[in-house]
Amino acid sequence: MPFVNDILNHRSLSIVGLEKNTGKTVCLNYILRRLNTLGVHVGVTSIGVDGEQVDSVFATAKPEITLYEGTHFITSEQHYLKRQVVSVVEAVDSRRTALGPLVTARVLVGGKVLLSGAATTGILKQQIASLDAMGCRLSIVDGALSRLSLASPTVTDAMVLATGAAVSANVKQLISKTRFVYSLINLEEIEPSLRDCLSNIESGLWAIDSNGEPHDLGIASVFLIDRAEKDILRFGKTLFASGAVSDRLLKVLATKEKGITLIARDFTKLFLTPEVYTDFVRRGHRLMVMQRSRLIAITLNPTSPQGFLLDSRSTCEALSDALQTPVYDVMKI
Amino acid sequence: MKIKDYIKQDAGFQYVIDNMEFMSSAGRRKALNTEFSSDADWLREEWRRLDKAVGATLEYKYKKPYIDLRHCLMQLHDLQGTLASLASHTTLNEVELFEIKNLALLCRTSRGAIVGLGLAEELPLPETTAVFDLLDPDHTGIANFYIYDSYDVRLAPLRRELAALQNAGGDPIRISELLTQQNEIQGEVCVRLSDQLSEWADTLITAMEQMAYTDFLLAKADLSIRWSLACPTLGEHTVYKGLVNPRLKERNEKMNLRYQPVDIELHKGVCIITGANMAGKTVLLKSVGTAQVMAQCGMFVPAGKATVTLVDDVVTSIGDDQDEMNGLSSYASEIIKISNILQRCRKEKLLVLIDEPARTTNPVEGKALVQAIAAILEHEASVTLITTHYSGLGVQCRRLRVKGFVEGMADVPITPQNINLFIDYSLDEDENDNVPQEALRIADILGCDREMTALARENINKL
Repeated sequence: MPFVNDILNHRSLSIVGLEKNTGKTVCLNYILRRLNTLGVHVGVTSIGVDGEQVDSVFATAKPEITLYEGTHFITSEQHYLKRQVVSVVEAVDSRRTALGPLVTARVLVGGKVLLSGAATTGILKQQIASLDAMGCRLSIVDGALSRLSLASPTVTDAMVLATGAAVSANVKQLISKTRFVYSLINLEEIEPSLRDCLSNIESGLWAIDSNGEPHDLGIASVFLIDRAEKDILRFGKTLFASGAVSDRLLKVLATKEKGITLIARDFTKLFLTPEVYTDFVRRGHRLMVMQRSRLIAITLNPTSPQGFLLDSRSTCEALSDALQTPVYDVMKI
Repeated sequence: MKIKDYIKQDAGFQYVIDNMEFMSSAGRRKALNTEFSSDADWLREEWRRLDKAVGATLEYKYKKPYIDLRHCLMQLHDLQGTLASLASHTTLNEVELFEIKNLALLCRTSRGAIVGLGLAEELPLPETTAVFDLLDPDHTGIANFYIYDSYDVRLAPLRRELAALQNAGGDPIRISELLTQQNEIQGEVCVRLSDQLSEWADTLITAMEQMAYTDFLLAKADLSIRWSLACPTLGEHTVYKGLVNPRLKERNEKMNLRYQPVDIELHKGVCIITGANMAGKTVLLKSVGTAQVMAQCGMFVPAGKATVTLVDDVVTSIGDDQDEMNGLSSYASEIIKISNILQRCRKEKLLVLIDEPARTTNPVEGKALVQAIAAILEHEASVTLITTHYSGLGVQCRRLRVKGFVEGMADVPITPQNINLFIDYSLDEDENDNVPQEALRIADILGCDREMTALARENINKL
């Protein structure tokens, strides 16, 4: 029973896919099935809309999410009314989504449901807290489309990354794309003492001097960085970007004196292409994160929505070798 | 007009509403839709209720009934749409039925808390136990809801079979059949329950609205305590002791500046207010307007003591209303506004607040206009306050003068930052028709160009 025991060391888990159709839902169903046999009280919700019976982009059949007796779940009113379980409504959130208010319910007789959830991580965090208060041992958040924000360590404690033929039908490309995201997820974390002094910073680009003191560089947006009047390295070579880190920021920093350490909040704030990141590192700079996400497993869906099928065993092995971490075929676990 | 209309035209009043802490969106909606009232009986009753609520808040603020009631109000959802559906015999779904059950439970719990606060007479909530019982056939006593087995004898065996099949990974076709049957029965139960509940639609609407009102009343009581507001009495004249402008008071306190409350008495007819620049004439008009709106919306007023005479509306011409998009100059938009006010005053009793009328046109015609406005309004039933810098108007009316700049009032050198310490904002009845001429002295204190003020003094001496 791969990786399920590891999941139980955490209070919340997100399942994110590198692309659509990378097998997130199959993976979720696997985890739910295993946790049910272990008798673990689970809460499930989603960000955005998921669990639709037919994939809305490619119109291929999609597996539904199967819930078991005792499971708590949060979904929108419209999807709640279409459920194939017997369940008790326990709470209704007054904030409305496009599909009506969010309903929290407990399953009496298991079956299939459609999940849809809040579109913002702020509401998601509150929901995880409310599931926790209802006694859930673990809250699982199902991702939608290619959104990664829910995997932020500030939202969920741990994550499962789903990849597959939908990312690329070329195994080499699939490996290289997955490896890149994997390397960002595993960026080195800063010292806890430094994290404490950065935790109250909400915006802007900051420099940390040799005494560990942060200084605001007065750059409102990283998009204005090439117009900065003063030398941005005047306080030292350790910088902290409180918001998104883009290719543009990295390109500007790459040209400076070597040895820069750029700190981002977490990997979900990185919007980078492999070429720019590689160039940044090759020039002697380093990227770190305030908080690292705990990646529990990587799963592979060998089928692509266009019907293309990769060889499961050899692809898993190749990916596993490249990442030096186990990779599981979702259809076989 | 409603509170939501007044907050658009009076930033000071908007500040008041923004500082109220509502527990629910329904409470806020209730507040915004409260009418400005000229009904003396209603206002007396509303102030009495508020007074009782203030007493209860002071006594129970950190105690159980008050905390319980606030907790209920926080969970209140605005169910206007659902309740309207119910009243029009639309079938509600399970989620809507949950909301109804939750409302019935909140209402029942709130009733208990309100009795505990001693406000049962002021905040009557309808009895909703029958609604709750209908939606709680198994007597769980909690808000959770689903189509319980006890609603239909067919449900229990069907669900047992479904559970057995699901657990055993049974025939999907049979599972699907059972689910369809279950959904049909659930649908039938929803129709039956909605039908039974529709008789209670009015009660539930009352419960919803009364809980929203409870939220509004508690928010008013809380604000009255925090801001030390006074319960007004009704009288022939409006009399404020220690009138305050809440927004300015808060700002001054934040900046460690002195704030001086003002005493003022308002009569029918016109009262002309004069005083040096910076003496707080405009603020005075705004404070009077905000206090009147607060009183007539059933709130307490920002003063130490207040007697209020009721009016039909509060109308103002304060500040530069220049609207370039309409192609109107500041003079044009102002004079149109004042003209409309005059016409309304011939039919209604208003509180009229006009700040420095005709100040943006030439002084000869400007002064003549102010004389005309004052002369007309003096004979109307409305209460009018006009501030002006024009001397010798020669109109028969009451005059008040802000004491204004007093050298030596404070024991420090005067600077533009502390000039406020040297202004006495209190008002004196004034027999004199002349206005104080302190513009040049104030310009000097503010450190303005010496050549300008010296030349201006020479010009005055030449007159």
